[in-house]
Amino acid sequence: MELSWSTFVLEIINFLVLVWILKRFLYRPVLEVIARRRAGIEKTLADAKALHADAEGLQQQYEGRLADWERERQQARATLARELDAERARRLAELQGALQTERDKAQAADAHRQADAQRKMEQTALAQGARFATRLLQLAAGADTEARLIDLAIGELQDLPDDRISALHNSYGKMPGAILVSSAFAIPDAQRARLEQALRQIIPSDIALQFRQDGALLAGVHIAVGTWALGLNLRDELAGFAELSHAE
Amino acid sequence: MADADLLSAPVFELGPLTITNTVVTTWVIIGVVWLLSWQLSRRLRSEPGALQTAVEGVVSTIHEAVAAVAPQQAERIFPFIASLWIYLVIANLSGLIPGAHAPTRDLSATAALAFVVFLSTHWFGIRSHGLKVYLRHYLSPSPILLPFHIIGEITRTIALAVRLFGNIMSLEMAAMLILLVAGFLAPVPILMLHVIEALVQAYIFGMLALIYVAGGMQSQQLRPETEE
Repeated sequence: MELSWSTFVLEIINFLVLVWILKRFLYRPVLEVIARRRAGIEKTLADAKALHADAEGLQQQYEGRLADWERERQQARATLARELDAERARRLAELQGALQTERDKAQAADAHRQADAQRKMEQTALAQGARFATRLLQLAAGADTEARLIDLAIGELQDLPDDRISALHNSYGKMPGAILVSSAFAIPDAQRARLEQALRQIIPSDIALQFRQDGALLAGVHIAVGTWALGLNLRDELAGFAELSHAE
Repeated sequence: MADADLLSAPVFELGPLTITNTVVTTWVIIGVVWLLSWQLSRRLRSEPGALQTAVEGVVSTIHEAVAAVAPQQAERIFPFIASLWIYLVIANLSGLIPGAHAPTRDLSATAALAFVVFLSTHWFGIRSHGLKVYLRHYLSPSPILLPFHIIGEITRTIALAVRLFGNIMSLEMAAMLILLVAGFLAPVPILMLHVIEALVQAYIFGMLALIYVAGGMQSQQLRPETEE
């Protein structure tokens, strides 16, 4: 266990040489490799951070764009909703107007149809009434009825105003050859005389009077002076009644 | 026979120097380390393989340990401390090779390493803040403590040398005695203990050296701050 000075000195030298060798061939290359790798990793991290920052920036930008788009979409949707409401209201008003028009038309058509129906019913009622009255008068008419009607005709002839008489003269034009007096029954003589007298007041005396019987008159008299005629009989009255109902 | 196996034996003479098997073993270790380092340095890649990863792990771990104790002077003292650790691990484990002896079982070798640590402590301390400032810390906090500082420097250096020497030599001696008494394969457990003890002693020696060197540098660094 002696201390060998040669070993002591040589070991010192050996260790210093070993330090140099390790520093030259181990520490420096390995540390350089580690430093390069660390630099590469740090660069990669820096690039990744830069990319991350860029990505965050892009994300914020896109989020901003999305927000803008969302806002624009909301505005467009609100505008569209307003336009749709306005269009809906306009079309609804138009539809209501059209419906009202159609309703008015339908009401008018219904009223017209009801009026037609009522008129037809009235015409039918009148026609039935006329047929009923004709049938009744056919059964009830007689010489007495005719006599009263002739009396009414005589009265009307006697009360005929001057302007009617002149109109009568103008209406039949040239003087007719005869005055045709038709009656359903034979006119009694006295009554025939009064009738002739009444006719002679408005018709010149040179025109002959011709009396004849016509059962189609039912009762009453029909006087024809050319184109002018005076009918005061049940047939003409019923026909006039029927024409009046048609005229209405 | 025990003395012949335990003590370093001269191998040859080189002028006034006696070359012992301790020195030869150290040369072999240096040669192997140089060869491996040279081969490794030629094959370093950015994407490391298994061997490069292991070596980088060892170097990085040592660097981090040095930086943890002396963060500001890590780059300066790292080669010295790392070389101590690497050399001591290899030297301590070399005793496991049949026919070889660990250089650290020689007091001359451990004393040389302790002396290198002693000199390095002062060398790095003086290089950090100059001779005057470095020597002044021996007088602080009071000049009365100067003898104690000197005694402390010497004793810790001797303790450093004797601790490593004693542990490694005792391990080899125990293994040899068991081999003599019990025969073949009997000292295997002791050899496994040798592995652990070799690593522990290398760590202790290197860590103490690191603390001494860093203490010498940082004591000079802290003093001006406190004086300001």
